[in-house]
Amino acid sequence: MDFFKLSLLLSLLCFLALPRLSLSASGETKSFESVPDLEKSMYKEIEGFPCVRLLNLSGEIGCSNPGREKVVAPIVRFQNAKEFAGSAAILVSIDEFESLLSRVLKDSAFSSKVAGILVESSTQVQNAINGFSPDVKFPQAEFAPYRSNNFEWNPAGSGIMWKAYNFPVFLLSQTSTSILQEAALMNEKSKKSYTENVAQFDLVMQTTKSSTHDSESCLKEGTCLPLGGYSVWSALPPINISSSLKAKPIILAMTSMDSASFFRDKSLGAESPISGLIALLAVVDALSHLDGLEELNKQLVFVVLTGESWGYLGSRRFFLESDKQSDTIKGLDLAMLETVIEIGSVGKSFSEGNKTFFAHTAGATSSVNGTFNVLQHAQDSLITESIMVKRASTTNPGVPPSSLMTFLRKKPQISGLVLEDFDSTFSNKFYHSHLDELSNISPSSIVAAASLVARTLYILAGGKDSAINTIKVNASLVEELLGCLLACEPGLSCGLVKHYISPSTTCPSHYVGVILGEPSAALYPAYAGDVSRFVWNFLADKTSISSKNIGSSCAKACSGVGELCIRGEADGKGVCVISTTRYVPAYSTRLRYESGSWIVLPNNSSDNMDVDDPVWTESNWDTINIRTYRVQNSTYDRLILLLGIVVTLLAYILIEIAKSVISKAMKQE
Amino acid sequence: MTVAAGIGYALLALGPSLSLFTAVISHKPFLILTLLSSTLVWLMSLIALSAVWRGFIPFKTAAWWPYALLILTSVASQEALRFFLWRLYKRMEELLDAFADRVSKPRLLITDKMQIALAGGMGHGVAHAVFFCISLLTPAFGPATYYVEKCSRIPFFLVSAMIALAFVTIHTFSMVIAFSGYSEGNRTDQYFAPVVHLAAGVLTLINLGSGGCIIGIPLLYGMAMLTLLHCGKLVWRRLTENRRQGNLY
Repeated sequence: MDFFKLSLLLSLLCFLALPRLSLSASGETKSFESVPDLEKSMYKEIEGFPCVRLLNLSGEIGCSNPGREKVVAPIVRFQNAKEFAGSAAILVSIDEFESLLSRVLKDSAFSSKVAGILVESSTQVQNAINGFSPDVKFPQAEFAPYRSNNFEWNPAGSGIMWKAYNFPVFLLSQTSTSILQEAALMNEKSKKSYTENVAQFDLVMQTTKSSTHDSESCLKEGTCLPLGGYSVWSALPPINISSSLKAKPIILAMTSMDSASFFRDKSLGAESPISGLIALLAVVDALSHLDGLEELNKQLVFVVLTGESWGYLGSRRFFLESDKQSDTIKGLDLAMLETVIEIGSVGKSFSEGNKTFFAHTAGATSSVNGTFNVLQHAQDSLITESIMVKRASTTNPGVPPSSLMTFLRKKPQISGLVLEDFDSTFSNKFYHSHLDELSNISPSSIVAAASLVARTLYILAGGKDSAINTIKVNASLVEELLGCLLACEPGLSCGLVKHYISPSTTCPSHYVGVILGEPSAALYPAYAGDVSRFVWNFLADKTSISSKNIGSSCAKACSGVGELCIRGEADGKGVCVISTTRYVPAYSTRLRYESGSWIVLPNNSSDNMDVDDPVWTESNWDTINIRTYRVQNSTYDRLILLLGIVVTLLAYILIEIAKSVISKAMKQE
Repeated sequence: MTVAAGIGYALLALGPSLSLFTAVISHKPFLILTLLSSTLVWLMSLIALSAVWRGFIPFKTAAWWPYALLILTSVASQEALRFFLWRLYKRMEELLDAFADRVSKPRLLITDKMQIALAGGMGHGVAHAVFFCISLLTPAFGPATYYVEKCSRIPFFLVSAMIALAFVTIHTFSMVIAFSGYSEGNRTDQYFAPVVHLAAGVLTLINLGSGGCIIGIPLLYGMAMLTLLHCGKLVWRRLTENRRQGNLY
């Protein structure tokens, strides 16, 4: 009775005291509406960009989970990694990333502590560090038409992207960086407690699961796919194949549209090479407004290559298709090639108020000198723009890494010129890294390069000197292209791109990717990437002559000779035009697709570039993600199980005692 | 937290019920039936209450009184259901006793009646544990753990299991007290179950405060102890009274 009264009193007191306590079901507590909600909040998905497993003929590079399982490890910051016992997921900032990786490769005791690496992102990074380039100091030196002798085009290069790592590495986004920094701090503060924050990496690569560790075996097993894509070439004005006139000599302007980086999905390549791509597109746009292009005595051809960062796949395959006289190169006779101008990295030409470009020349001396003179003439016509073009230094061993190297190896007598914004070393401190983004270049530099090249090409093709000042490069087009190709907003959903294609993603990435299915020689291949399709549609539109079937949709009446259907995806109907614009598959010349699988062709010693081709492939993978959550250590878990068992047994004992007491009470009848 | 911890939490909440089942309920089929139907009825009552309140949750205000209102109405409804179950039980007892008379077999002993009440109470307790703890336990079997900000020293699932164990105890034994009170006409025993149920419900509101679970849970176990002790006293008193009277019923 007294107990009862006591409890009543107690609960009444509590009820009265409640308003005074700081009780509030405030907004701090998350409200869950279901058990799946609870489970979701226990596991936080982290936005990260992975480094994947790539293979070549002699081995592999890149990163992968060491087996079939996900990797789970506590999050530790790099400066505290040395004291940490056991393996950890190391959180490191970009300026210490290179030193961490080199330590892992050298020190095997340290490398056993590394279960995975998480690289932080921050906005001030570009200003703080001197340079970050995971590529080597002379990229693709083995393809150069000259002996390299350790010349350093890329002095900031560390070469870390060409090594193999047996653990996952992810680049974090800005928000993920702060989440994981908090998690690491919490781990440090509560070292004695029995919980810790862990990161779970899922970067399981099929080639690791099936133990195929080089391109040949993985292609045979079907656990990887070769790198490649679709290059685009276009002629201005369109080439009339059925014409009986003799083919004109060709002035070729080219650039590449693919970049590379340590992290697969963060290869923007703003300076190298997208600044060149944007300049070329602006050149085509400027020249397309001129009249009388058919009367010029030379033919202008524009080529946008892909796969150039991975063994010059685009340019080598271009020559092979020409040798095979494939449909993709119909109308283009490379024997008529007179001059080749490549637009390289042109986004950083500012110095002391002038925009200075350098012409790296190679090939037949007299015609090359002629080309350079035209370039200088163009520079003089642009006197108000403070643009300067100089010859590259003679102490350079030759042209910088560029697609021109392929042309020089195939046709050593060609007259070739690469326009770059640097002389002997890259002005791009972030070559082939995820930091080579929009803030690394300046739009006016690209406009200057485009103006130079447009006027040069016009004169080289036989254009009138008097008309040269009518060639104007559209600066707003350049700005628009920068926003479409180098930023996530507006990204590929910008008006200009959506005018031509329906893109599959919004954030652009210029990694060449893998070839899906059979490389197609069709007019409209099924699996061309977003940027390839945009470039094809853009060039076809700018170099086009309206067809007789003006404005009609392509479905019925667009299969005549030289007729193309552009903007087919954008509005479903498309527009029929006359244009010479073709896709050319870009993949290793040592591969052939036969009956559903890829075959590595034996070494053909006649083609000396094939000898050095590593034949890059990318491993297949299922899903890639990271998440973070809190775990209790296993002793605690076992203690809880023990507690549950003890409570159950104790209750049983007490009940049995009560039973016997009661039955004794009943029996005393 | 892994499978070991998940099983541990489930055992913590329902282990004693399992022991009670094995030791007492499982020997008599009628008790098993009582337990099952009681669990079903109480689970349905909880589902009905949650359906009614679903329209008002989540509460937009930061105050505590909507939760007090929720607890008040739910406890009141459940206690009304308890009284209704008592009337049902009384009808069934009359039927069983009449049947026993017809076939000249002994009527229900006092211990039988208390065991039926115990089975009924255990059904209430198990329904509470399943509804409030076991249904949330699936994430506990995975690798991650969860801590609520306002109770940051104890994992959420452990808190949930401990509270469920306290309520299982309270519900199981307060049914015995309530049925005995109704049959004897003892006012204290009749009011015991509703008051203790309400007090325990209100005590859980302390968990809304930061660090409140450290105060709230021990207090809740105090209520459970109180229930156990009162039930023990009651059972002892009735058994010894009957012995003196020479009456087993």
